Amino acid sequence: MNNNMIKITDLEKYYRTEEVETIALNKLSIEVKEGEFVAVMGPSGCGKSTLLNILGLLDDADGGSFVFNGIEVAGYNERKRADLRKRNIGFVFQSFNLIDELTVFENVELPLIYNNVKAADRKKRVEEVLDNLKIMHRRNHYPQQLSGGQQQRVAVARAVVNSPKLILADEPTGNLDSSNGNEVMQLLTELNEKGTTIVMVTHSEHDARYSHRIIRMLDGHSVTENILI
Amino acid sequence: MFRNYFKTAFRSLTRNRNYTIINIAGLAAGIAVCMMIFMIIQYQTGFDNFHEKKDRVYRVLTESRQEGTGTISYAKNVPFQMPAALKTEFPQLEQVAPVYASHNDELQVVDDSGTHVKNFKEQSGVFYTTPSFFSMFNFPLLAGSYESLKDPNNVLITKEIAENYFGDWKKAMGKTIKITGYYSMGAGLFQFPANALKVSGVLAAIPANTDFQLKLVVAYGTDFTGDAQYGFQQPGWNLSAPDFGCYVLLPQNISFSNFNQQLSTYARKVQTAENKNSYIIQPISTVHYDATTGNFSNKTISKALINVLWLIALFILLIACVNFINLSTAQAVNRAKEVGVRKVLGSNKFQLQIQFIAETLLIVIMAMILAAGITVFALGYVNNLLELSLKFNLLNNPAVLLFLVAVTLIVTILAGFYPSIVLSRFNPVSALKSKLTVNTAKGISLRRGLVVFQFIIAQALIIGTLVIIQQMNYFMNQPLGFDKNAIVNIPFRPDSTGGKLTDYLKQQLLSNGIQFVSFNSNSPVEDNNNMFTTFRFDHSIKDAAFQAISKFVDNDYVPTYKLQLIAGRNLEPSGYTKEFLVNESFVKSLGLKRAEDIIGKEISMLNGLIKCPVVGVVKDFNDRSLHSGLAPLLMATNSTMYRQASIKLSNTNIASSMEGIKKIWEHTFPDYVYEYHFLDEKIAGFYKQENQLSQLYKIFAAIAIFLSCLGLYGLASFMAAQRIKEVGIRKVLGASPGNIVYLFSREFVILIVIAFVIAAPIAWYYMHQWLQDYAYRVTISLWLFAAGGLAAIFIALVTISFQAIRAALTNPVKSLRTE
Repeated sequence: MNNNMIKITDLEKYYRTEEVETIALNKLSIEVKEGEFVAVMGPSGCGKSTLLNILGLLDDADGGSFVFNGIEVAGYNERKRADLRKRNIGFVFQSFNLIDELTVFENVELPLIYNNVKAADRKKRVEEVLDNLKIMHRRNHYPQQLSGGQQQRVAVARAVVNSPKLILADEPTGNLDSSNGNEVMQLLTELNEKGTTIVMVTHSEHDARYSHRIIRMLDGHSVTENILI
Repeated sequence: MFRNYFKTAFRSLTRNRNYTIINIAGLAAGIAVCMMIFMIIQYQTGFDNFHEKKDRVYRVLTESRQEGTGTISYAKNVPFQMPAALKTEFPQLEQVAPVYASHNDELQVVDDSGTHVKNFKEQSGVFYTTPSFFSMFNFPLLAGSYESLKDPNNVLITKEIAENYFGDWKKAMGKTIKITGYYSMGAGLFQFPANALKVSGVLAAIPANTDFQLKLVVAYGTDFTGDAQYGFQQPGWNLSAPDFGCYVLLPQNISFSNFNQQLSTYARKVQTAENKNSYIIQPISTVHYDATTGNFSNKTISKALINVLWLIALFILLIACVNFINLSTAQAVNRAKEVGVRKVLGSNKFQLQIQFIAETLLIVIMAMILAAGITVFALGYVNNLLELSLKFNLLNNPAVLLFLVAVTLIVTILAGFYPSIVLSRFNPVSALKSKLTVNTAKGISLRRGLVVFQFIIAQALIIGTLVIIQQMNYFMNQPLGFDKNAIVNIPFRPDSTGGKLTDYLKQQLLSNGIQFVSFNSNSPVEDNNNMFTTFRFDHSIKDAAFQAISKFVDNDYVPTYKLQLIAGRNLEPSGYTKEFLVNESFVKSLGLKRAEDIIGKEISMLNGLIKCPVVGVVKDFNDRSLHSGLAPLLMATNSTMYRQASIKLSNTNIASSMEGIKKIWEHTFPDYVYEYHFLDEKIAGFYKQENQLSQLYKIFAAIAIFLSCLGLYGLASFMAAQRIKEVGIRKVLGASPGNIVYLFSREFVILIVIAFVIAAPIAWYYMHQWLQDYAYRVTISLWLFAAGGLAAIFIALVTISFQAIRAALTNPVKSLRTE
């Protein structure tokens, strides 16, 4: 519980257009311990999403250090990032981001395919996860045939099927009504209780209360940290 | 993994059904065109490829140098002396075979008692040769022997002829066929008495891809042929006939160039005062491409045309690939989310590239299957158009199968590679936020470039086709200087009665309401059958520097064909030759200033056999096809030389006149097949190849423009979908539907205009080169280019406006709300 899963120091990220340079992350330093559930909050444009993308190895920083699980990953190339990502990180998005052409089962199966898991094992694990999340009966449906809550469950199932060490959630309840939203938060809490580290970006104080700690950001750096437990 | 790729691909394709249909249809059309062109080229380049000794078989050509200009020309006919001389002078030659290709032979099947059973006429396919021919060329026998051709009056017939003549080829051996052939020699066309031939062998069906379309192969030595005597003459070095050729088989240790040196040395030895020609041998592998010299099948194809066909196949395939690339990259935005998700879940760039290439492969395979279907249906039409008998049979044609596999791979790589790179390069963060647009400057400029490329090809083809059509119209409508309408030619048995037969026929016809009848050796215009003759003018001791076409015609030739006399008078009725008519070119070629100057001067031809004065000059008319210019012409009466009756029909009651003519002919010549040819149809036949080409180009141009527009349509529809918000905002701000349509059309019109600027000079250059082959040609006019360019713009605008108008009419509230 005491090991740092994420330790970023003086992280910088700029967005440049021809005329202006916007600072998205301004010498940001934070740590996330293994098994923690952290919520990141802040007004629009404060850099939360940028932070999440860098944590998820989808984007790289322009300066500073990012140690993931004890390894410095700042400066990794795309191939290495993809490799690290697919083994360690699961994602949950506000807009679910399920592939419309694939069924529920196939969507959840996808990370396992990219991790070269054998077909028989894949089937077993996907079914297990679908069962746990109570969407087994929807396994052959396509995303458009599901309600928002159900789609987000599938997205969560997909995020956890590979038993990642870290789940990054980007406003996971943003597109859901409150009862569906609570269900998803419940799910995340359960996962966290089983040992998965979670970093969640949210606008909702209500959702943030499910976490252990809230990092509040403004203009690219962290302003306060509220420890909830 | 691949199953997952194909699954996603298949579902994505079914979801974007319109896009898939456009893609598959475009590719399929392109591939089908390619496949058919490949089959045509495969057929054309396979001529006489099946002979085992093809690398050592050569054709002897006569090389003549024109006095004065020094231009060298080649002809496939050789002096009658040539085969026998080669045998004795060059014993090292493994085989030497004379080949005479006879035309218009009349054949009668005779039963055992000697009575006629059936009459046949063969326009071509009767060959006179020796067994040596079959030692060079592989035409298998079903029965009998090649050696039987050593003895005169034996004949080998093909299975097809055997079945046609005798019902069953197995019954043909030993049967008798009577042949009445004509042969030409110098300026004369002679008939030999009917000869009874014995069937001594049956040949297997002759393949389509040989220039020896054998039907009956008569032993050399029969009739007028032979080493010892040819016709009524000793076979010397001075006389030859248009279809008398010679083939040799070189031994392995003698090279082609080495033998040619020996041959030219020998030619100098045998030169005579009349014949200063030299001779060379030509590999048979090049015969089918030698359009200027020709061959016995009268079918040649130039290497240039084959290259053009390859180029068209390539271009059409490229257009189809460009469509694919444009559509794939344009709709890449729709796949962005999927790419993003896959990347987030751990896919790397390479895996995504493989996925999209696999998807392309799936589309190409579907297109390939559709293309095969199109080919099966379209091949009948192509065969009909080009007079081929191509068959689409993958199992029997490994080359086509290989071609298909190669095209599948090439198209997959060409069409799939770039989109796969574009798609796999998406940044997952922006892809997931749908921040991606394809309007990145680079993407659009590539796509613009590709559209320009497509329209360069399409417009060049359209302009080229218009030029060909114009040239064809010119051929058909150019006044030839004689009357060609409603004139029917009926082949005619030579009159050995000194004019009695022609007089009788003429009287019969005139009493049947026919206005003009002329008996003659040939029509005013002939393509290949012209007989050129040397002659001496005005008691000169030397032959004139040029040869003239000779025609034997009666005194009704001038009125029947409405030829115009410009000096002197018409020929007088006569059964033999006693005076000449010449044309203006003849007078000019002699260097005489006025037509009147030639009247009364003597012309001597056929080694002095004919010596007569010129009595009249006719105005020049086109005595050769419009591929070639006018030639000097000599005309004289001689009833033994008449081979056809030319009958001018009145425009009313053609059917009953034809019926009457048929009755007269069948009554007068009961033993022979009655046939007739309309002169205008015969003239149209001279331009058959151009006509076929023009049809072919029309199809290619249509497909090129269709494919280009298909791509444009797809592109416009994606653009419309993408700019839906922009259109909404513009409409809110007061843009009219016209403004919106203009917004969409402007860019494409600019692109097409750029393409036109590039295509026009290219098309002009190539079509200008093409026209140089014709003595009579149109000038490429500006309106052709204008028409080509405007047509392309118009078609493109119609294509785009479907989408543009739809976008323009969308309710802006709706399009803005979706944001």
